[in-house]
Amino acid sequence: MTDDVLLSARGLEVHFPIRSGGVFRRSSGAVRAVDGVDLDIRRGETLGLVGESGCGKSTLGNALLRLVEPTGGTVTFDGIDVTALGRRELRELRRRAGMVFQDPFASLDPRRTVAQTVSEPLEVHGLHGDRRERAARVSELLELVGLDPAVADRYPHEFSGGQRQRVGIARALAGEPDFLVCDEAIASLDVSVQAQVLNLLRRLQRRLGLTLLFISHDLSAVRHVADRIAVMYLGRVVEIGPAAAVGGDPQMPYTQALLSAVPVPHPELERSRKRTVLRGDVPSPAAVPTGCRFRTRCPSAFEPCPDVDPALQPVGQVDGHLAACHLHGVVGTPVAREDDAPEGPTPADAARAPRRAGRAH
Amino acid sequence: MSAPVLEVEDLRVRLRTPRGTAHVVNGLDYTVGPGETVAVVGESGSGKSVSVLALMGLLPSGSATVTGRALLQGEDLLAMSPDRLRRVRGPGMGMVFQDPMTSLNPVLTVGRQLVEGIRAHQRVSKQAARARAVELLAEVGLPDPARAVDRYPHELSGGMRQRVMIAIALSNSPALLVADEATTALDVTVQAQIIDLVERLQSEHGTGVIWITHDLGVVAGIADRVLVMYGGRCVEDGTVDDVLDRPRHPYTRGLLGALPDLAEPLADGSRRDLATIPGVPPPPTDLPPGCVFWPRCPVRGDARCETEQPPLTVVGSGSAALPHRAATWCGEDSR
Ligand SMILES: Nc1ncnc2c1ncn2[C@@H]1O[C@H](COP(=O)(O)OP(=O)(O)OP(=O)(O)O)[C@@H](O)[C@H]1O
Ligand SMILES: Nc1ncnc2c1ncn2[C@@H]1O[C@H](COP(=O)(O)OP(=O)(O)OP(=O)(O)O)[C@@H](O)[C@H]1O
Ligand SMILES: [Mg+2]
Ligand SMILES: [Mg+2]
Repeated sequence: MTDDVLLSARGLEVHFPIRSGGVFRRSSGAVRAVDGVDLDIRRGETLGLVGESGCGKSTLGNALLRLVEPTGGTVTFDGIDVTALGRRELRELRRRAGMVFQDPFASLDPRRTVAQTVSEPLEVHGLHGDRRERAARVSELLELVGLDPAVADRYPHEFSGGQRQRVGIARALAGEPDFLVCDEAIASLDVSVQAQVLNLLRRLQRRLGLTLLFISHDLSAVRHVADRIAVMYLGRVVEIGPAAAVGGDPQMPYTQALLSAVPVPHPELERSRKRTVLRGDVPSPAAVPTGCRFRTRCPSAFEPCPDVDPALQPVGQVDGHLAACHLHGVVGTPVAREDDAPEGPTPADAARAPRRAGRAH
Repeated sequence: MSAPVLEVEDLRVRLRTPRGTAHVVNGLDYTVGPGETVAVVGESGSGKSVSVLALMGLLPSGSATVTGRALLQGEDLLAMSPDRLRRVRGPGMGMVFQDPMTSLNPVLTVGRQLVEGIRAHQRVSKQAARARAVELLAEVGLPDPARAVDRYPHELSGGMRQRVMIAIALSNSPALLVADEATTALDVTVQAQIIDLVERLQSEHGTGVIWITHDLGVVAGIADRVLVMYGGRCVEDGTVDDVLDRPRHPYTRGLLGALPDLAEPLADGSRRDLATIPGVPPPPTDLPPGCVFWPRCPVRGDARCETEQPPLTVVGSGSAALPHRAATWCGEDSR
């Protein structure tokens, strides 16, 4: 590990037990939301994290800050083993490493005004001691995210979706963190406000040397903010590298499909555009396919894919561009043959089953 | 053309706040035909969500005043008794809310919530409703739907919750579907699947759709017509081609200019700032007397801009049935 790495995860796992119905609530199997992630985030960089809904992005972001408990692996933040921290040290970590939550409605306390919400980290961490100072800081933060400081005494229900999202960003910035996880932080903002927030984050980064993990399903937005992009599929990082390389010259069929599906704002182009639509649905993280987890939907799957779990390997033209894909050479861990579990129906089968939409019964 | 599913006339919403009256929606007129998709776009805080919550009768009755008419299949939603309104929701109109976590019940499994929604409006057995629930979850692309029905909202990812909301809204094949940022947390593949599903509902049941989104790429792909809101008003509307390809209002032009372009080459490290519309929208408690966009407008091409509110008038070529309208004093060549 070089010392320009601020945060690193090794073999990180978050498995949620599945409750089975009935009185005994036995746990039967697990949802492998994060399933063996190795990741280094460099000081001052913006790492974009993209992938389909349910692939484990939020859970990974939460686990890095120990907002959910990892069930395996380690996380190191600035040399500190996060997985071993006690309550007190965890609080200090929370000041240095903040989070903008995906759901702005659920993450704001309806009984607290915007000023109370935004100044909460200041109070908790004893920053900006006196009231006047704190009020001034709140105004400054609100302005920074493009809200009128006069809204400070309002409650969350008086705000639109996009306005609430910005309150969440202001709160996350209040403690002047070194590291910020932005989980879909701009998802429900209109484009001009999105651009404002993206510009703001970039400015802060230059000024404060902020390190960002920018979670989004929107590859085009990520390409604009990220220095590097990591692509996640079913709990694993399957491709990572410089933004221009991953966004411009993707090497894993999954990333290629994700890119080709981004809609464009031109009616004629959009209607006639050729998309690589992936076959089938995302497999459930409770039943991860053997070998390459993408193989059940991959247009290029071939013999080794079910038998060898691919490791990240150097690909493409640029240094630091890695992908977990056998098309670039079969590298990885062979699947143990003896405990070959029955695979069950593949999602492609499910997609082929007859569907009757919108039928009234 | 057959009778519209929804006709909105001069819809206005005022909200009482400690700081005075907020004029959140200020005279909206539009129709949604059978099978038609009207996309509503516009600045954050421009009144998009409030305007559709008003149709559904879901604004706080103590502080909200709603006026105008909103005919759903000929019957005025704004004049309905709460009881009638409750019966109309479901088969009459389905809504996907912008905030999935607060609109799902956290203590009920998603299956329970779907089954209750179905059985409130259809005479079917519990088992049949449950089977239908599983089918709906499969249709919105939830992996492992047979298990997903037994999960609680907090056990789902953000995008999965959004899909559950969509399944609930579609469960009674509504005549009108209102989708408020329904696919914002969804990646493009799932989004495409949802859009297909909605289109199928439209062709099978003639469902009219109001689709609120900030994603102009989605608008380009699905909308028949587009309505652009700013400061609680419609500042421009027309066919999707007219509005996105030949925008006339300076706000719409700014909005399109603010798009990050996927095709743009990325120079290493030296990225320029994205174009934004400088300034903030006016607070709804204190709207300017002239054009609502005037305080931020880069054009200001007419003496009346500051003092007189421009009416929504026909511009450009559109047909009589599908006019292209804009509320601006600025003429064609004032870019
Ligand atoms: N508390 C929980 N209990 C059980 N399962 C959970 C829990 N939280 C998340 N999961 C499951 O873990 C998987 C990953 O969820 P996560 O929220 O990390 O996805 P995501 O990539 O952020 O998706 P989205 O883009 O939809 O927000 C999903 O299958 C989800 O159902
Ligand atoms: N209950 C309320 N009390 C006071 N003001 C409110 C209330 N609800 C909404 N508003 C205000 O009304 C305006 C319109 O809000 P609305 O939620 O309709 O915006 P929107 O166009 O949906 O924005 P977004 O794209 O951010 O979701 C905003 O300025 C908001 O602050
Ligand atoms: Mg998420
Ligand atoms: Mg809204």
